[in-house]
Amino acid sequence: MTKDNRSRGTNSDAPSTDLRTERDEVLRKFSRGTQLTEDFVREHERMQGRLQDLESENATLRAKVEADQAVRELLKKIERLESEKSELVSQARQAEAATTEFTARVQEVESEFANLANLFVASNQLHSSLSPRGVTRRIKEVLAQLVGAERYAMYLVNPEGEQLIPIASEGVPGNELVPVRIAGTRIGEVLRKGSASVADSDPSQGTLKDPPAVIPLSVDDRVVGTIAIFSTLAQKNKFDQVDFELFKLLGQHAAQALVAASLFAQAEQKLPGLEAFLDLSV
Amino acid sequence: MAEYSCLIVEDSPMMRQLLVFALARVKNLRVTEADDGVDGLRKLASARYDIIVTDINMPIMDGLKLVKRVRTDPVHKDTPIVIITTEGSQEDRQRALQLGANAYITKPIQAPQVIATVKELLKIE
Repeated sequence: MTKDNRSRGTNSDAPSTDLRTERDEVLRKFSRGTQLTEDFVREHERMQGRLQDLESENATLRAKVEADQAVRELLKKIERLESEKSELVSQARQAEAATTEFTARVQEVESEFANLANLFVASNQLHSSLSPRGVTRRIKEVLAQLVGAERYAMYLVNPEGEQLIPIASEGVPGNELVPVRIAGTRIGEVLRKGSASVADSDPSQGTLKDPPAVIPLSVDDRVVGTIAIFSTLAQKNKFDQVDFELFKLLGQHAAQALVAASLFAQAEQKLPGLEAFLDLSV
Repeated sequence: MAEYSCLIVEDSPMMRQLLVFALARVKNLRVTEADDGVDGLRKLASARYDIIVTDINMPIMDGLKLVKRVRTDPVHKDTPIVIITTEGSQEDRQRALQLGANAYITKPIQAPQVIATVKELLKIE
């Protein structure tokens, strides 16, 4: 390169002031653009991060809401099941109460049936014999087997109406088995009043002087004798309702069966002729 | 449903009648009556029974002898036996249980107790 060229070149290469200013301006603007771009990129990245955070948060919240919903549904289900359980428990209690009542009723009916069976058997047995000895044996059997009497005696009033004469007994020593005055004795008092006398105390502890039960014996509304129970078997420590029914039955049927058997024996076991029944007017 | 047969051995007609009434409450139970131990053995020889209910005090052959004989009978050696006793006769009761009786009922008998004892021995609900 020549000196001229160098000088020219130097001169020609050197930008003019305007151009330099313009260049600087462009460079400044470019630099500014770059800065802005970088800022924008950073902001974009920040926004991306924020968006991810928000999406994550959103997902978490959605999951939480869904979980809450599930819990609410479960709670509703539990509430419904609790209600159903309460209803079932109530129904079960009602059924249990009904069953208990039914069982009690069945036991009551069975007990009633047993009592009726006792009464039927006693009545049936009293009238199943037409011999005085047979009837007496059956009366004793009713007392021993159905009532559970251990010591007892049956008395009939004498023709003078002053004394009760023992006609049958069980467990009473011979020397103790004596006629009883009607006046001033408990056994005689029952004959006079015509109503049974039953003590509240334990009948198994009864004595000959203080019998726990005395029953009047009637024939056609006339009191003709008594049965005195002096003591019962050890396990029979109280009289039950069925015993009182048996006392009533014995009172009304024992003497009648005995009288009928005696009359039949006196008639030498002859049945009355048909004519005896023709004038009954029924 | 299974059918069961019961032999009642009792000399008292009243007690027999009462036992028959009581056991009529047990479903599918056929009841046969015998007057005493000898009559009971005769009936046991002619038929098979699932349970025997017998009184202790009987004429001709008492309940203890009957229990002893039943336990040597190949057909009825395992048949349940219920004895009926009075409270005072504990010795008889012990003897009967030693001879092979399975249960006892004391007099005066209560129908529900008779029913429960027979049902238990026959394993009926």
